Amino acid sequence: MSTGASTSDFFRSERMRRRRATNLLVELLAVAAALLAVAVLVIVVASVAKRGAGAINIDFFTKTPTLLTFGNPPPSGIANAIIGTAIIVGIAVLMALPIGILAAIYLNEFAPKRLANVLTLALDVLNGVPAIVIGIFVFVFLVVGHGQTAIKGGFALAILMLPLVARSTQEVLALVPDSLREASLALGAAKWRTTLSVVLPQTIGGIVTGATLATARIAGETAPLLFTTSLVGNDISTDPSKPLASLPLFIFNSAEQADPKLHEQAWGAALVLIAFVLVVSLLARVFALRSRRRLAGER
Amino acid sequence: MKGLLQRNRKRHTLAAVAGLLVAISAVAAVGVSGAQARSTRSSAGELSGAGATFPAPLIAVWQQRYQQQKGVKVNYNAIGSGGGIAAITNKTVDFGASDAPLTPDQFNACGGCVQIPWVLSATSVMYNMPGIAMQLRITGPVLADIYLGKITNWNDARLQRLNKGEKLPDRKITPVYRSDSSGTTFNFTSYLNTASKAWKSRVGNGTNVNWPAGVGARGSSGVSGVISRTPGAIGYADVAYALNNHLAFFKIQNRSGRFALPGLRGIKAASLADRKFSSTNALSIVNPPKGRKFLNAYPICTYSYVLLRLQSPKAALLKPFVTWAVTQGQSYGPDLRFQPVPPYVVARAKATLKKIHA
Amino acid sequence: MATATPSAGPAALQRRGRFRPGDAILYVVTLVAALSGVVLLGLIAREVLADAWPAMHKFGFHFLTTTAWDQNKKLFGAESFIFGTAVTSFGALLLATPISIAIALFLSELAPRGIRAVVTPLVEMLAAVPSVVLGLWGILVLGPFIVNTLAPALHGTLGFLPIFSTKPSVGSNVFAAILVLTIMIVPIISSICRELFLGVPTELKDGALALGATRWEMIRGVVFPYARAGIAAALILGLGRAVGEAIAVTQVIGNNVAIHWSLFESGDTLASRIASQYQGADTALQVHSLVYLAVILLVFSLVANVLAQIIVRRVAGRHSVR
Repeated sequence: MSTGASTSDFFRSERMRRRRATNLLVELLAVAAALLAVAVLVIVVASVAKRGAGAINIDFFTKTPTLLTFGNPPPSGIANAIIGTAIIVGIAVLMALPIGILAAIYLNEFAPKRLANVLTLALDVLNGVPAIVIGIFVFVFLVVGHGQTAIKGGFALAILMLPLVARSTQEVLALVPDSLREASLALGAAKWRTTLSVVLPQTIGGIVTGATLATARIAGETAPLLFTTSLVGNDISTDPSKPLASLPLFIFNSAEQADPKLHEQAWGAALVLIAFVLVVSLLARVFALRSRRRLAGER
Repeated sequence: MKGLLQRNRKRHTLAAVAGLLVAISAVAAVGVSGAQARSTRSSAGELSGAGATFPAPLIAVWQQRYQQQKGVKVNYNAIGSGGGIAAITNKTVDFGASDAPLTPDQFNACGGCVQIPWVLSATSVMYNMPGIAMQLRITGPVLADIYLGKITNWNDARLQRLNKGEKLPDRKITPVYRSDSSGTTFNFTSYLNTASKAWKSRVGNGTNVNWPAGVGARGSSGVSGVISRTPGAIGYADVAYALNNHLAFFKIQNRSGRFALPGLRGIKAASLADRKFSSTNALSIVNPPKGRKFLNAYPICTYSYVLLRLQSPKAALLKPFVTWAVTQGQSYGPDLRFQPVPPYVVARAKATLKKIHA
Repeated sequence: MATATPSAGPAALQRRGRFRPGDAILYVVTLVAALSGVVLLGLIAREVLADAWPAMHKFGFHFLTTTAWDQNKKLFGAESFIFGTAVTSFGALLLATPISIAIALFLSELAPRGIRAVVTPLVEMLAAVPSVVLGLWGILVLGPFIVNTLAPALHGTLGFLPIFSTKPSVGSNVFAAILVLTIMIVPIISSICRELFLGVPTELKDGALALGATRWEMIRGVVFPYARAGIAAALILGLGRAVGEAIAVTQVIGNNVAIHWSLFESGDTLASRIASQYQGADTALQVHSLVYLAVILLVFSLVANVLAQIIVRRVAGRHSVR
């Protein structure tokens, strides 16, 4: 600092002003970017809500899609798609949840570090495989020559879900302090007892959160269903040994039609899907916050 | 004390969310167990099919009527002719549907399949040009040049010359084609083959060709969709889609020099062009020759075929359904511009159906 | 003798001595479950390669340099789709990177606590929007907007640039695909970067501020260098997501096989072509060619993911040694 200048001169200097200006610019850009993201979200959700609201009525949830009849078609709905999605997603959860949890238990409780790294890497890489490639895999592996079924669709979604569940469970398991395990073992409990009765209950909250988020994520996937459960009828069916209708495929097929009435149905289905996904994600996050607070409190 | 309360609340929330997941799984479990009881009942009176979008409007009516009259449920997925061929080959459906007759290779791959013409209609060439007459005139060569990318604007001299009464605007033409494997594409490109040597050598015909220009859409409804959203677009689909979506379509010049419409009269005249079945029941009525009985023939007409396996567990349901479709089912056609199939087609259908067994 | 070191992790807490069958059962069951990831990867690679083999054998590597999708001439090639994938994914990455990093900075450094709590879940909700819904919105809302408003503006002002050189006539074009993909990958990149920025040690940040740096200078001088590798990993993951997206892209891109420089023309990508054609592919060669496209996609996503994960692990390892 030069002897004759005062602090206020320094702050009013050209360089300082420039640096401050750059800083301000960057801060404004950051705010603008965040606003942009929120704006896009609002625009998309608002579009869906505004255009889909017209289709929402009791019929929408109880009737099935109208066939391509010209003239005045009777009221139609997406009951079969809603039920189909529930069943397909249910099958996926039944397949992926236990395997994911068990895998995470191995990786965190039993595996030597090197092996754990490799297996975890494999799961992370599996997570990055595009959904369409998984759809093709299940098609080639299971569907060709045997036919489409909802179970195969659920299996494809389960492949997508597995790494998510395994990862989130693993993270929660790692949060459980070793002191808990050591205490249990010191008291004479077997390892399996320790894991299942002492460690696991601590993580239920995190597991539920992870599973719920993963469920919300796969409920919206279309590509894996495209080749495994797409040839469906228009009636309500709960038979998983046949292909079942699904919300994402209904939206996909209705989106490119020319008929504005079908567009409205597509928007309505999108609204139902988005509502389910967003509400479930929000619930999971709220739950996560509370369980995280509890874990932190009990340490 | 406070910890106890918190833990209870946590348990309740846990129970609630766990209950939700259990509920979802329960639905799945119920479905699986119900499947055993249900499978015999539902598969007894149900047929599933997939294939061409071309006949889909008429099949939709058939689904309703057949269930009303005979109690049998028919499911149909309009995924394109290629999808129908693939589905019946992969045994994922009871019947397929295709506007493009199977090639020998496809028959080989299918292994014991037959095709029967069961629907007869026209491929309209639709356009979206607000402020213009509903039925502009066009010829095969001009159409081919549009799809070759040689004619790119509506006010092109050749198009204007054909429509002297209209002032065509300065607007880009967007040709729309089927991005999926389509029998309607086969019909349309077969016609372009006969109308333009340049098209034949450069592109050729098929269910899926190397389109030199334009934009793709899935299914006849996809094509109609893009056209209705895009001023200046042109595309092809079964005439029922043009009518349902209130799209204008061209009058196309036939070999007799007349500009024909894709109506029942034009289709009926075109069907006279081929009455001799190929060894696999195929008929080709594209671009009928010049002649008195073809004066009003619309040049882009086609039959659409149902694809069946000679040996099928659903034979007992398939035979009555297809018989009904080519006889009583045809009466629902004219409203949608499907011309009832001629008697010799019905006879051939019945004869072929006799070969199908369980 | 089992002497467990306190920080060796639960796996080291083995109990030697009495044989507990329960332990063995749990061990085996969980091991099998943990191997599922590797097994699935192997199965996927094997099945996809096996089904693509006839096309790979016929076309070899020429497949990657041929622009064609001709059933009649029995000629298929991936070049235009590789080009389309590259343009859409890198285009989306180009747009998404500054936006995502800016959002991450906002949510980790600049925003007050209350705003952070509200905006963070909102950005993550954007990631939760299913791709088919984005595609629906892309067809019916974004497409017309591009054709009627955005593209004429861009073409009018920047039309001398090859990427904006044609006037768009239809809403299904590469530009729409880029915008949709950007919306998809911004939340992914920004949430990873946000965690990264939050993980920068406060002593380093405080030190820079104490020396008189402005906030931006602190970010540029401390946060970015520290998080450099992690940001790279986040970008690679975002790119991988963009490359693999089939549904939303196929709904808005127009399914055209040629290579155009203008973004307002229609195009196609690897994933989108598979999605639009696979169901109806009626010749064996076409099916195998489509699976060949899937092989290219799979190879790319494996490479990208392994790279990103290695970077993440190296960073985590480096930063945890303190």
